[in-house]
Amino acid sequence: MYALVIKQFFRSKTVLLAFGILLVLGVLSISTGKQFLSQKQKAVVKTIEQQEKHLKTQVDLHQDDLGLLLYYLKFSYINKIDPLAGVSIGQSDLNSHIQNVSILNLEGQKYDTDLVNPMRLQVGNLDLSFLIIFLFPLVIIALNFNILSEEIEKGTWKMITIQGNSSFQFLVIKLSIRIFFVSIVLAALFLLAKIILNIPFNLNFIYIITISYLYMLFWFAVCFFVILLRKSSSTNAIVLLASWLVLVVFLPVVVNNYITNTYSIEEAFTMTIKQRDEYHKKWDTNKIETVNKFYKHYPQFSKYKVKEDGFSWLWYYAMQQMGDDESKQEREAMYNKIKSREKLSAKIAQFFPPLQVQLSMNTIANTSLTHQVKFLNATTKFHEDLRLQFYPKIFENKKTNTINWKEYTPEFFIAKNNFTFLNKLFPMVLITLILIVVGVFTNSKYFK
Amino acid sequence: MKKQVVILVTKQFFKKAFSNKGFLVLLAVFLVVLAYVTVDSWKAFEAHHHVVEHHQESSRKSWEDSPDKHPHRMAHFGTFAFRLQHPLRIFDSGIESYTGNSVFLEAHKQNTANFSEASLSTGLVRFGDLNIAMLLQLILPLIIFFIGYSSVTSEKENRTLKIIYIQGANMKEVLLGKSLGLFLVSSLFFLPAFLSLWSISFLESTSLNDAIVLRIILLTITYILFFLILCCITVIISAKSKNSNKALLSLLGIWLLFFIIIPKTAQVVGNYMYPNLSKIEFRAAIEEEIAKQGDSHNPNDPHFNAIRDSILKANNVTDVKDLPFNYSGFLMSKGEEQSGTIYSKQHKKLIETYKKQNSITNALVFLNPYLAIKNTSMSLSGVDFDTYVSFLLQTEKYRYEQSQYMNNLQMKFISNKASGSEGKVHVVKKEHWKALPKFTYQYISVSETIQNKLVAILTLCIWLLVTLTVMVQFSNRFKII
Repeated sequence: MYALVIKQFFRSKTVLLAFGILLVLGVLSISTGKQFLSQKQKAVVKTIEQQEKHLKTQVDLHQDDLGLLLYYLKFSYINKIDPLAGVSIGQSDLNSHIQNVSILNLEGQKYDTDLVNPMRLQVGNLDLSFLIIFLFPLVIIALNFNILSEEIEKGTWKMITIQGNSSFQFLVIKLSIRIFFVSIVLAALFLLAKIILNIPFNLNFIYIITISYLYMLFWFAVCFFVILLRKSSSTNAIVLLASWLVLVVFLPVVVNNYITNTYSIEEAFTMTIKQRDEYHKKWDTNKIETVNKFYKHYPQFSKYKVKEDGFSWLWYYAMQQMGDDESKQEREAMYNKIKSREKLSAKIAQFFPPLQVQLSMNTIANTSLTHQVKFLNATTKFHEDLRLQFYPKIFENKKTNTINWKEYTPEFFIAKNNFTFLNKLFPMVLITLILIVVGVFTNSKYFK
Repeated sequence: MKKQVVILVTKQFFKKAFSNKGFLVLLAVFLVVLAYVTVDSWKAFEAHHHVVEHHQESSRKSWEDSPDKHPHRMAHFGTFAFRLQHPLRIFDSGIESYTGNSVFLEAHKQNTANFSEASLSTGLVRFGDLNIAMLLQLILPLIIFFIGYSSVTSEKENRTLKIIYIQGANMKEVLLGKSLGLFLVSSLFFLPAFLSLWSISFLESTSLNDAIVLRIILLTITYILFFLILCCITVIISAKSKNSNKALLSLLGIWLLFFIIIPKTAQVVGNYMYPNLSKIEFRAAIEEEIAKQGDSHNPNDPHFNAIRDSILKANNVTDVKDLPFNYSGFLMSKGEEQSGTIYSKQHKKLIETYKKQNSITNALVFLNPYLAIKNTSMSLSGVDFDTYVSFLLQTEKYRYEQSQYMNNLQMKFISNKASGSEGKVHVVKKEHWKALPKFTYQYISVSETIQNKLVAILTLCIWLLVTLTVMVQFSNRFKII
């Protein structure tokens, strides 16, 4: 029985074409991921090399003034890219994964972007997650839309029903064969991705695979439901394609548009102006006032005093510090807006599997906006550590050669995602089950 | 060819479309969505415009309100350039979400354009932007395919094609009539969209108005060409297919290939063939070149020492302190000149690389009418790559002029014996801050846009001619029975 159905399945040109397209695009998408990862890796290698060179030249140039030297010195902080980012590139191509900061005012440095062609960003990435979210459903629809209606239209369905065996079982066999072969293609792509992208076989990878399979089953359930409405082949095709169009193309765009307009982030501009103004104002305001504010932030440095006249590094760095300190309110407003965007996205996404799958994959691969915010916050900490190390040395007028500059190699940021598998995917599984159960019950009268 | 027959077939197709209930629902939904998108885009544009102007003003105000200062302090105080959006962004947002919105312009340092909309958005932003152009470029073609896929096959399946033929209509007339009918039906969708497009020309903003009208007229023409091509293709595919199912599947395949897969793949391949430098490599390349020529921040640099010696000689003095102008201001202006030139050279190289990356897409315009309309629409709406590059170049030009303005002030008004820029001793009057003109962003002119996109517009004309020829050729070979 199975052998015959499989034979019939592969006699269709559509099937071979669909699998062919999936495999070709699969290879293309995995190589996109590979290229992305290796570009990022190349930049990391260059950063390490560059920092060493940079430290050496600058230390040679400004040997007698530590304050001046640290005005020039930049230290790199690198967001380590997970190999899974090659599967789901997410937002990680938009945001720089390398921070290069001096101990001056941080807010003016933190948001610098990497150099990426905006045309590329706009077109979007053809990564494996795109293939799974966007194209797999289409293939599933193309393979399934007429499995019942075709038999009815050709008149073969009656022959099946009178042949004794359960006609429902026959339908399930046809469907299961499709599920089986699509699963194999998906598995092959994941295997290829694992080998080419060097993905370790860990829980995160298993999550991504599981999500993909659940998403695939969701689309099979949608098809199953529509097939059992027993309409003509072309009606099925139109209904399924319309639901694909709405769920995968149209709704995400509308949802994103809604979120963007609900929470427009103008605070970013306000903050960036404020951090500049607050620092520069200090050149013309009372020196002692500025320094006192600095002592308030760092009581441990209040033992270092400044003269009322003339330039001193403590005053200079205190001014720089005020750029950060006094734009705090605006900064928090900006981060709150970002948080609101994330929350609203997650809230809406749980009802729409394509959105949920994209956001989940990004979260797992550490390529989400949340992850970028985490990296920015970690950069603040990295920067603060540098300040705490260098401030006392500058204020004590230490010689530059008392510091072992070789120790200052780029540091890495490694974050854990807090992905909650069950919470996120429960709605999608529930929708899948409801579709199947309703489909079966409304049709129970046709089947024995 | 008989005109009346063509008109008759057209009319018949048009009337028949209304007999389908699904069609009316589809039209209603499309119009509701269009209305929503138009209002929404208007609001978003005005909000963004307001935000940018507000911040531009407030940033300028703190510049002008700065007290008397040392000019070099002001050179680092710097200017924020916020990018204003072109009004036609209401119609097509192009790469708008992905381009930086604010650049900080200060002395000796070229900062990146930051805070693009997408960089502050969740992963959902990558599904695309919602705007009128998206409805016309991606969704309406699908609707045209849905309405037209069975235009000929259904006549075959119902055996009415033979009757039409016997009544004296030849295939050429039938196909042409069907295409025109389909085009008329689709005009019910795109004419309202054009209304929202034309409404943008009533925008209050004054100086741009003439240019906007010209842009809008061109947009209208190119979109009409695009839809004509699509309608012809739909009817040809329908006529070539054995049955309606096959016609629908082929059209969907075409949509997927031409509208989604080819554009994405082209950009991926472009990037693969011409990788651009990462920021770290870009900065390293600039630093290396500066080190080669000489570093103005290095007191023992031979290149700048040579300049110093020649200046001393020309002025007949032995110490820079005796020069009639502020030497460090002079030195910085030389340094700025040097690093500015090197940066611009590297930046130009980077833009060239980007252009090469885009060249694959631009070449495919000949084979893919979707890419042709997409690129033309973006350019005419002032939201394309060229517009962005022009913004970046304008900011760098302003940055350079601002820095040199400050260096000149320093040379002129700051004592040569001054050491350091703090305090109220070595300062310049604040009137000089106001005297520096504001940053004003100029959009690319229409004529330049047309020159850039002439190929794409011509391609659409050629495509229309080719599809019409194919249709005529095919109708000669078409077998009714």
